Amino acid sequence: MKLKKVAKMLLSCVLAGALFTGCGGSQGGTDKPAQDSGKEIKLGMITHLNATETRMAEILQMVQEETKVPVSKYVLTYYNNLNNLQMGLESGSVDEVSLYKCVADFALATSDKFELVAGDNLKGLSDSFCFAVRKEDTALKADLDKTIDEMKTDGTLDKLINDFITNVDKKQAPPKIDIPMTEGAQTIKVGVTGDLPPFDFVNTDGTPAGFNTALLAEVAKRLGRNIEIVDIDSGARAAALSSKQIDVIFWAIVPIGEKIPSDIDKPENVEMSKPYFKDDVAHLKLKK
Amino acid sequence: MELIYSIFIKDGGWLTILKGLQVTLEISVLSLLFGTLLGSLLCFLRVSKFTPLKIFAQVYIAIIRGSPVLMLLMLLFYGVLARAGMPPVAVAVITFSLHTAAHVAELLRASLMALDKGQVEAARTLGFSKWQAFKLVTFPQICRIAKPVYQSTVVNLIQWTSVVGYVTITDLTRVINNIASRTMQPMITITGGLLIYLAISWLVHVIFNWSERKSQLRQADS
Repeated sequence: MKLKKVAKMLLSCVLAGALFTGCGGSQGGTDKPAQDSGKEIKLGMITHLNATETRMAEILQMVQEETKVPVSKYVLTYYNNLNNLQMGLESGSVDEVSLYKCVADFALATSDKFELVAGDNLKGLSDSFCFAVRKEDTALKADLDKTIDEMKTDGTLDKLINDFITNVDKKQAPPKIDIPMTEGAQTIKVGVTGDLPPFDFVNTDGTPAGFNTALLAEVAKRLGRNIEIVDIDSGARAAALSSKQIDVIFWAIVPIGEKIPSDIDKPENVEMSKPYFKDDVAHLKLKK
Repeated sequence: MELIYSIFIKDGGWLTILKGLQVTLEISVLSLLFGTLLGSLLCFLRVSKFTPLKIFAQVYIAIIRGSPVLMLLMLLFYGVLARAGMPPVAVAVITFSLHTAAHVAELLRASLMALDKGQVEAARTLGFSKWQAFKLVTFPQICRIAKPVYQSTVVNLIQWTSVVGYVTITDLTRVINNIASRTMQPMITITGGLLIYLAISWLVHVIFNWSERKSQLRQADS
């Protein structure tokens, strides 16, 4: 049972909601001749945490019914992380990749290999970002929820989003972030993967940086607790959370209408905090 | 060129890579040390005449050699030793030692079997004690036979350690992946990482070659 669970968790991911795709009618594809709207497009995305590929197909079907986004024209390939996804695109295994808009922006700013796939029928397909904790850690969840609410009301959250996502200078090295340490306070361990810029990446000096780290620094300050950031391979995050090696991981949820509740891919022993950020999905392809 | 500079060197990026390399080598060297010791012990059990110990060694080798080291590592870190509060590197060293031990035990046994039994018997008839016969006749020959296979075990071990990113250790592979994500240049970065691993393997090869030549020289002298 345990082995099976571990194996399943290995197929986990960062971009929980990157699957909801629907952009473009016929613009996709790189080396295929003349695409008509009925043509299948090979689309790469990062694997969904805790959802098998069969389950994913079901969810996508529901999305199509709910939002009228033509999901079925895409043939999906799942990649373990952003690196693999990008290499899949560069090698031509997939025609397009599905990413969050701010991740796509970052990719466009750092590399001149890609371009955005045009298309405007993505409306309503946004994902929310939140923390995930173990189910029994209700106190921690309440604390996180409270902090997120506070940060929302006093504008700190908007400022962080502005500083680290919207207006961040993508050509420059990201700013260093110091997480305040309180002597003798309780320590919360948070798992980061370092492979989802600008949310989460690792600086040249090996320290974690990006929006998530800045957010954690703020949370630590407000809760008066220490936050220890643990760099971990994205495939092992769920295993690390459930075995108490770490206490918090980052999660994305995809609530769309009545039919697709936000906890559709939530594992049984995990609880989500309130969302702190929302982003749309964008598709990238190679420049011709 | 500028791209390579900005990926690997700029802003002290190479220091981070060195740190990752150090972690990789640390785990590899410690695991090799403990793995070889444990492997020798296992081989001794495996060829012993006392059946329970022999069966234990057989079962151990069969299980460990047949299981993927990543699964073993994750089971130990997130399952068996999760409550022990051990640092991740220690768990990694334990896992890789256990894994290497099984391989070393098998390669030593193979070398033992390749030896002519008559030699030990001859030594014993000539009045050598059991220990002397092992020390002077069996051991030098095992070393010679096992060397090439041992070398490939060492190289394999270094490559296996590339999965420790799953247990919150930032080793060379993890550093390379992080850089690839930050710079959005996975192809070049991963090629660079591969070259570093290749360089380590080549270094191992050089060390073994050197020791081989030295022992040959010593033989020629005597």
